[in-house]
Amino acid sequence: MAELTLPQNSKVQKGKEYPLENECENKKGFSIYRWSPDDDENPRTDYFEIDLSKCGPMVLDAIIKIKNEIDPTLTFRRSCREGICGSCAMNIDGVNTLACTKSIDDVKGDIRINPLPHQPVVKDLVPDLTNFYEQHKSVQPWLKTKTDQPEKEWYQSKEDREKVDGMYECIMCACCSTSCPSYWWSPDKYLGPAALLQANRWIKDSRDEFKEERLDELDDAFKVYSCRTIMNCAKSCPKGLSPAKAIADIKKELATRK
Amino acid sequence: MANKNKIDTIERPMSPHLQVYKISFTMMMSMMHRVSGFVLYLGSFLFLAWYISIFFGQESYNFVNQLFSFSIIKFALFLFTWVFFHHLFGGIRHFIWDFGLGFDLNSVEWLARLTALFSFLSASLLWLL
Repeated sequence: MAELTLPQNSKVQKGKEYPLENECENKKGFSIYRWSPDDDENPRTDYFEIDLSKCGPMVLDAIIKIKNEIDPTLTFRRSCREGICGSCAMNIDGVNTLACTKSIDDVKGDIRINPLPHQPVVKDLVPDLTNFYEQHKSVQPWLKTKTDQPEKEWYQSKEDREKVDGMYECIMCACCSTSCPSYWWSPDKYLGPAALLQANRWIKDSRDEFKEERLDELDDAFKVYSCRTIMNCAKSCPKGLSPAKAIADIKKELATRK
Repeated sequence: MANKNKIDTIERPMSPHLQVYKISFTMMMSMMHRVSGFVLYLGSFLFLAWYISIFFGQESYNFVNQLFSFSIIKFALFLFTWVFFHHLFGGIRHFIWDFGLGFDLNSVEWLARLTALFSFLSASLLWLL
């Protein structure tokens, strides 16, 4: 059954405020979720103000600035700062996205930043994605074949290669899965948009010879069919992909195969 | 202060979800589809009451009809027809999706709008006739 509210230890309280000392023209406020395992406090929301004329254009620039200049304990994942590693996925202004590709100017007023929704929190904006990675592993996202290894490589025509367009670009940032209410309510049974997109990527791969077995594995009341086409996944994907479409493709394969 | 750095033993908070996620129109429509399905189930008892009243003869039939003509109950019946059409058109929307069509973000938005619009129009039309 869906738990619509947060458990007692997860209720978010009002936190500290770090206003700018001098008024400036390009002031921007950031309300950021904080939680640390080192004390027994509930999570809280801290409020930071920064001068945008001394900051880069992206939300990631802003939180790095806050970490460097205001509160060095602010914790988040980041690496490539160009939308390819998927580390800085978080909930910004109510929608999951990558902090490094989200422009500060896109948000009017203060910017609310939370960790990816409905996940155990390791610290501040860092969620524990163990379950997410386990599910990815469970769809066996690698090439599986029955025929003998060819002498050179496994060939694929241009046309066949195009069949995995819109899926191979996935960077596994978890924005889609953690945006999905179905995934929130049954993270143990429903595989979630990201894992299913990956599953479909291998189902559609012309070189893979385990299509039927892959479909058998997915043919379950919850793994695929918990998708209600709410469309949060496609709307939040920072790479512009559509896990919803991939899931519909899997359902179609399941319904039409003999 | 206890050392809680062992990942497995810490009681971790759950990050906020419904509390912070921006509610989109398609999210609303999905909820409405679920709710309307449930209301349809409840509303079918009204029809049952109507049929059963026929079984008990003219008098009880008139009584139920009278009950249904109260404006507040009439309004509830109107809502029920709206819910009926909402679920019907929502079903058609899902049927289109089952063919793997209409998944780009524009179509998704339009399908949702059309479902809302047509459900309201159909319900109104039925009551005007």
